[in-house]
Amino acid sequence: MTGTTTAQSQDNTGSDEPLLRLRGVKKHFPVQSSALIRGEQEYVHAVDGVDLDVRRGETLGLVGETGCGKSTLARCIARLYDLTEGTIELDGRDISTLSRREMRPLRREIQMIFQDPYGSLNPRRRVGSIIGEPFAIHDIGSRRERKKQVQELMELVGLNPEHYNRFPADFSGGQRQRIGAARALALKPKMLVCDEPVSALDVSIQAQLINLLADLQDELGLTYVFITHDLSVVRHISDRIAVMYLGKVMEVAPVEELFETSRHPYTRALLSALPVPDPDLADRREQIILVGDMPTPVHPPSGCRFHTRCPKAQPDCAEVVPPLEKAKDDDSADHLTACLYPMDPDERLSRARATVADSEIVADDSALGGVS
Amino acid sequence: MSIGTSDATAAHEEVTGPVIEGRSPWALAFSRLRRDKVAMLSLAIIIVIVVVALLSPLFSAITGHGPNEQYHTANALTPAGLPRGPSGEFWWGTDDLGRDVLVRTVYGARISLLVGVLATALTVAIGVIVGLASGFLGGIVDTVLTRFIDVILSVPFILVAVSLVSIVGPSLSITVLVIGFFSWASVARIVRGQVLSLREREFVEAARSLGSSDSRIMFIDILPNVLSQVIVYTTLLIPVVIVVQATLSFLGLGLPPPTADWGGMINEAQSYYTVAPWFIAFPGAALVITTLAFNLFGDGVADAFDPRTDRLISQ
Repeated sequence: MTGTTTAQSQDNTGSDEPLLRLRGVKKHFPVQSSALIRGEQEYVHAVDGVDLDVRRGETLGLVGETGCGKSTLARCIARLYDLTEGTIELDGRDISTLSRREMRPLRREIQMIFQDPYGSLNPRRRVGSIIGEPFAIHDIGSRRERKKQVQELMELVGLNPEHYNRFPADFSGGQRQRIGAARALALKPKMLVCDEPVSALDVSIQAQLINLLADLQDELGLTYVFITHDLSVVRHISDRIAVMYLGKVMEVAPVEELFETSRHPYTRALLSALPVPDPDLADRREQIILVGDMPTPVHPPSGCRFHTRCPKAQPDCAEVVPPLEKAKDDDSADHLTACLYPMDPDERLSRARATVADSEIVADDSALGGVS
Repeated sequence: MSIGTSDATAAHEEVTGPVIEGRSPWALAFSRLRRDKVAMLSLAIIIVIVVVALLSPLFSAITGHGPNEQYHTANALTPAGLPRGPSGEFWWGTDDLGRDVLVRTVYGARISLLVGVLATALTVAIGVIVGLASGFLGGIVDTVLTRFIDVILSVPFILVAVSLVSIVGPSLSITVLVIGFFSWASVARIVRGQVLSLREREFVEAARSLGSSDSRIMFIDILPNVLSQVIVYTTLLIPVVIVVQATLSFLGLGLPPPTADWGGMINEAQSYYTVAPWFIAFPGAALVITTLAFNLFGDGVADAFDPRTDRLISQ
């Protein structure tokens, strides 16, 4: 039911193994309920069956609304969370069930940059010891060698190496993100998971940090999973983009293909929110305003997750979980869509009429068990 | 490809010379503390008391009186056997057994400070470890430890102390253990509360993603962040412990006689306060001044660790 077999048609195209391969990844969090008498434990279906490949040296952008599970997915990839179900393969090796101790040597390969430049650095430690922490944990080099390496890292990310002895409080938000990047790069990872690394920064600083990350990628041959809700950022930096909604991937495609011929109504709606600089073009463009809020991930809708808000939902959208697969013949092999009624480029979503029954629109508790 | 040039802010600050050292939160707190006159005066008093306690044999040598020696001369006791007031030979007068109140008060400072420091250290050590473990590990460990804390906090301390001492007999170590055992719970609660919020911070997740072990995160990442609260609480705990120790001695649960300690002296003096006020006044005053100095110093430390103090002082 999770679509493991249908999902990845790109596997047989290239000879190169993907660096990271996710299959049916699920993460459910138990809901803390105050009622002791309540027998049944409920779960937040934060990530609910994600299949994705990340290839060597590429940047995969992961976009979606707040609460769609993209940060949870990032933490699953970095193995900060244990998976509820599914597998994560790094370099062909299944890392999804490794214990923390077994995971430790693999930490060198996969690192993370966090969203909050204030929360992600320990305020009581000097920058030198923060960036040198990976060396201390993995017991690499003598004290003097470490200091030299830390200063090289600081130079690499554009910090003054002489600020080695300062505290995080002495730096600006953008500089702190550079410190976070230096720390993540210390172990020379193959892959960096960036969890909204620029969303807490000023726009002018965002550009600096994104360019830094792009330069580092060229220089060190890094692979990025880049999470953001900012579509213009993701368009600038990504090779491919995956769109998430309520814990599932709705559409994956190379950047330009996604922006030009998106197949999924949700992607279309998301892209229509992107500001267009040309006012004439903006007037002619279709604005799609989705009705209602995202349903609760505790009781996700049956069938296609998006059918409760989809302008062109049909009755079977509420019953069949659409597999993530190539939607139309003229799509490239990399363009996968999870939709029963994929859209044509000139189709107007605002003219569509949903024919799904009203009772289906409201998330149905009884459907909970059947969805996977 | 030079990545460094894209950052305009970082590169041009080399005017200050090669060694650029950020002032640590500790250094900042210490500099604030140094500007606090009341705290510095209290610290001076504490230092004097500590020096006097250390040099108490010197007082014994100058006056020629041992702390436990009883003098039955005319200078020490009245013909009726009552204590005599301050005089050239007995500067702070004598007690009911003809002993030198000055020398005994000075020796008593040793007991108070020793118990104060040891019991506080024990309290803080247990409290910090329990609080860290309970807050960071969570789950069943947290449930068990918090219930245990609740139990400790609900036990009537004096009753248990009285019965315990009557079983094993009074001694310095039992005093320290009893005080330590009954005081750590509140430290543990404070630490646990702090840890609960700290462990959700992203830097803990960052440490974990680097491969840090639980104990490394607890002691290297989290502990330094709770240390300022612990230090503030510690400085305010010392005077409380000193008073508790005096209370136990007053109730006859302190150190076995004839050892001089302030609580015990006040106890002995209470039936003589009308005829020999000096007998109760000097150890009493010593106790009040010591605890006051520690309390005022503790307040100063608390202010020094509070970043808002700078603005308040400058107003």
